[in-house]
Amino acid sequence: MRDGGAGGIITLQHLKAAPWKRRRFPVLKALEVIPVNGPAVCALGLGKSYNGKIFALHGLSLEVRAGEVFGYLGPNGAGKTTTVRLMTGLLRPSEGSCSVFGFSPVQKPGEVHRLCGVMTDGVRMYRQMTGMENLIFFGQIFGMREEDGKERAEDLLKRLDLWDVRDQKLSAYSTGMAQRLSLARSLMHRPKVLFLDEPTSGLDPESVQEVNSLIAGLARTEGVTVFLCTHQLRYAQDLCRRYGILEKGNLLACGALGDLARDAGLHAKASLRLKDGDAPSGFTRGTDGWWTTDILSEDEMPKLIRRAMEEGCSIYEAEIRKPTLEDVYFQYMALNGGEKP
Amino acid sequence: MKTFPQEEKAIVRKDFHELWDSRMSRTTVLLVPLVLAVALPILFVVLINTVPASEINGADQMRKLLPEEARGYSLRQSMLYMVTNLIFPVLYLMIPLMASSVAAASSFAGERERGTLETLLLAPLGVRRIFHAKTLGCVLLSAVVTGISFLAFAVVVSVGDILLGMPFFLNWNWLVLIFFLAPAVTVFGVMFMVLVSARSKSYIESVQTSGYLVLPLVLLLIGQMAGIFRLGPLFLLLAAAVVWVADALLWVFAGRSFLKI
Repeated sequence: MRDGGAGGIITLQHLKAAPWKRRRFPVLKALEVIPVNGPAVCALGLGKSYNGKIFALHGLSLEVRAGEVFGYLGPNGAGKTTTVRLMTGLLRPSEGSCSVFGFSPVQKPGEVHRLCGVMTDGVRMYRQMTGMENLIFFGQIFGMREEDGKERAEDLLKRLDLWDVRDQKLSAYSTGMAQRLSLARSLMHRPKVLFLDEPTSGLDPESVQEVNSLIAGLARTEGVTVFLCTHQLRYAQDLCRRYGILEKGNLLACGALGDLARDAGLHAKASLRLKDGDAPSGFTRGTDGWWTTDILSEDEMPKLIRRAMEEGCSIYEAEIRKPTLEDVYFQYMALNGGEKP
Repeated sequence: MKTFPQEEKAIVRKDFHELWDSRMSRTTVLLVPLVLAVALPILFVVLINTVPASEINGADQMRKLLPEEARGYSLRQSMLYMVTNLIFPVLYLMIPLMASSVAAASSFAGERERGTLETLLLAPLGVRRIFHAKTLGCVLLSAVVTGISFLAFAVVVSVGDILLGMPFFLNWNWLVLIFFLAPAVTVFGVMFMVLVSARSKSYIESVQTSGYLVLPLVLLLIGQMAGIFRLGPLFLLLAAAVVWVADALLWVFAGRSFLKI
């Protein structure tokens, strides 16, 4: 078996499993042949047209590193779900290619499915079965023995606050419960890559927080790579390390927040809250009453504060406001004449 | 190597539960055999034993349809022979046909309609194995229903035979029907429905389309009753061979249509 050097592909839990117990971890079968140095998810000129004329996705090239939480952002109809369906082998690409840990979903769908957990709106569960029955069933079709599936299902149901409704039929679940159960299903076989399409839509704020902390925990402690499609930019900023911004099937930008902000021409701002009537030179007053000016680096801040004080301004508060993901997203959308997410 | 791994078993079990949970599917799978293999035979046996011979219209015409072996039978015996060997073989074939069609409609069209097929396809066992598991589940269910129906039918008709002092009804016709034609019809129903399910929008639409499958059986019944032909073991064996060939062809097309998902 290979070592887990690259991005913590193999967790301690997996390594501790004796060979005769490894069937409890179906993902191990695929892990034994994972190319450890490659990216977790890779797309090269990937595209899909449903009618041969209009492309729902066009020329997508990106890499997601192992163990990374990647935010895939874009308005409805931008091509996010199409991307997930292509990467998980539910659709065949019209152009280009993609891979998950080096496995092509077209040529090796079984290996890709063994490694991936997928949660999208189109991927539903059985309404006449209880939450527990659903999870055990999906565990079984991923090669887990019934008792192991039950153990795993119990753990996930507790972690996702569904334990009390485990014996209720899915048809009796609220939207939020069904959404969390779907997340539990996608985690049943301990996937190494999670494709999540709006995992927190329809959830109350408490559930959103629980789901987000679960996702962050999976990436941090188990080295799970997360490909997160979302509209919720605030949560995405908390969770993700890098982002891809998609619009009308085209990837507008891809990278860390700082790089995206710089490329979009957005800078950090030095912001001061002053006594009424004070007006420092070089600053402009915002609608919130704060005085701001663009800065290229944090080193400029002390200088600006000093200058304001020399000009006789009384400073109540001072802070550096970095561009948020929302700022960056809307900047890219504005530059491309796009829509709101 | 396991012949039927647990992944496939889980799919078959799940499909059975789904079918059982749907009132329409459950009713069809239970009601059709109950009517055709139990209620109707009981009705015929009771009528033949109770209705006065003078009130049976066209009995002489019908007796002309009987083969040599049944020429010496009394009027009531002839009627039971005719019902058992001319009418019920055709009606009986509707059981595997309906059971397999409804099971396949629930398993394939129903899964698609409920949006759960995609979830299944995300499992590592592959489209081909999913197709095989689902197909096998439908065939298995239909085989069990058909087998139980035959046993129930045999009990009812045997009682009729005893009441009228006739020999046991089972003959070459029935043997060919049970062991060759009914299994072929079962597979045909499943394969036809897989193809239909790929095009239909819902479970209901698929089940409605399965109505076309009954037409050849109706023609068989009419042809026999009109004296155009008579179902013999050779005829049934030939029919079974034709249906098996059709099954093989449909298997290829149905498999392809499912793999294209």
